[in-house]
Amino acid sequence: MKKYVDKEENTCSINNKGARIFLTVILLGAGLLLILPFVWMTVVSFERYANINPPFPPSFKVKNFSWFNFKIVTENGAMLKAYKNSVTVAVLGVIVNTISVLMGGYAFSKGNFKGKKLIFLIIIATMMLPFETRMIPMYKLFLKLKLVNTFVPLILPNIIDAFGIMLTKQFFDKLPDCLSEAAAIDGAGPFRTFMEIFMPLTKPIVATIVILKFMDNWNSFLWPLVILTGEDKRTVPILISAFSYEGGTRAAGSTMTVAFLGIIPVLIVFLILQKYIIQSIALSGVKGE
Amino acid sequence: MTKAKKKKSAGSKQWIWYLFLLPSIIGILVCMAYPMLEALRLSFFKSNGSIEAWKGLDNYKYVLSTGVFGKAVFNTFFITFFQLIVVIPLGFIIALAINSLKHYKNLLKALFFIPYISPAIAAGTLFLFVLHPQGILNELTGVFGIPAVSWLENATSARFGASILSIWKSLGFNIIIFLAYLQAISPEYYEAAFIDGCTNLKAHRYITIPQMGGAIAFLITMGWINGLQRFTEVYALGGVTGSPARSLHTIVGFIYERGFGNYEFGVAIFCLLLF
Repeated sequence: MKKYVDKEENTCSINNKGARIFLTVILLGAGLLLILPFVWMTVVSFERYANINPPFPPSFKVKNFSWFNFKIVTENGAMLKAYKNSVTVAVLGVIVNTISVLMGGYAFSKGNFKGKKLIFLIIIATMMLPFETRMIPMYKLFLKLKLVNTFVPLILPNIIDAFGIMLTKQFFDKLPDCLSEAAAIDGAGPFRTFMEIFMPLTKPIVATIVILKFMDNWNSFLWPLVILTGEDKRTVPILISAFSYEGGTRAAGSTMTVAFLGIIPVLIVFLILQKYIIQSIALSGVKGE
Repeated sequence: MTKAKKKKSAGSKQWIWYLFLLPSIIGILVCMAYPMLEALRLSFFKSNGSIEAWKGLDNYKYVLSTGVFGKAVFNTFFITFFQLIVVIPLGFIIALAINSLKHYKNLLKALFFIPYISPAIAAGTLFLFVLHPQGILNELTGVFGIPAVSWLENATSARFGASILSIWKSLGFNIIIFLAYLQAISPEYYEAAFIDGCTNLKAHRYITIPQMGGAIAFLITMGWINGLQRFTEVYALGGVTGSPARSLHTIVGFIYERGFGNYEFGVAIFCLLLF
């Protein structure tokens, strides 16, 4: 096994081209096998009589291509509303999170103030507290504040994100101190330095945070399930599960179609941004613990 | 002179930094500190929302004695254990394989990653069909001559079914993490080893695997934490009560089901489990 040191990555690759091709084929096969459920889901969604004839045994040919299932499922506009809701929550959540996390990371990286270490430790400690333990008191709190069944309880928790602060802090640490020193000499206060000098440099880390948080918020299920009690406030994941249960014996066509509509947007975003997404998650893993 | 100037500006501007932390601090107070303390407090009471009655440790006793909670804990541990036992070695092997290729790496990474980014609810709903007696999982095992299993119809196989769902979903994540760690190993180690006449297998045993320690630790920790919080997938497969026979009832499922009645003990126990 000779090493080819690639300009982009350090790699150890197999010398033998034949072996490589063989391995590639096997891996591609395994990968396709893994996404087989999605392929099946797509086929069933487009199958006209899927609701009547159960899709077993599974076949990957569409016998009667039709948009019928899509029509039934989007008929009452619930799906569209769910999309709107999900987008609203996710976008606002990401904004809240990004602002809070950038500011926090900057303070811990470039700032000098009393109690810095202590507060940092407290924030890191919060990472250990699982959401489920706080879930019910939080629900009661929002109940008192009459904010149940609004989006506020879904957006607000984005404001505290120890992991995000760790990421931004590490990022800011890498930006040279001389930048802030120069700004200080010119008389700029921390806030101005932050806004005018450091912010424009944060694009890579902001991309990472936005991607991770958007996915988090979009896929979030339990908390929206608890908080959103009105049918018109449902987010996409909630709608999918509601559909599955209302279906009783689970009309295959409709259920598959709803799942399809739930997965496709995420899939598209993923396929476009996949390089960044995978990079972000890998980064978060290596730096995480 | 510069030093004195710096000290002066540092001192007078200190409070501004606290402003930077304001959002996070508010967040901690509202979403972390208050709920946690309230949860702890409530765990000693029996409450129905407005009327409270001091119960001492009764809540804890109650929870620990219900068979349901025990089942929930067992299910949670079981599913997570089986998931990690399979997905970590499997992820490693696949990552190793992908790492040794020259082309198509990004394609493969993306391919394996797709299940991970799909919403858990959609994936779970999908798996209702995959795990059906005539679903694709049985078709696949049928190719190898293994008889079809009614995954979701009896307790044990349902748990395995849930594990399979988790493995399927988290495989991509494991692979990515291993790949990141694999790429961090400097090729010089291997060069030195091969100059000394080392075989591939030995190289892996003495160089690659020890370096994976961090990755494995991370994946076990994350996997464990996520496992303890498992709810969405099993909810899609088995509903609130985790049918069949409560075999898919997880700890969080328990909290959700009992939740707005007297869950508080579940919360405290959950906390303890994490430490």
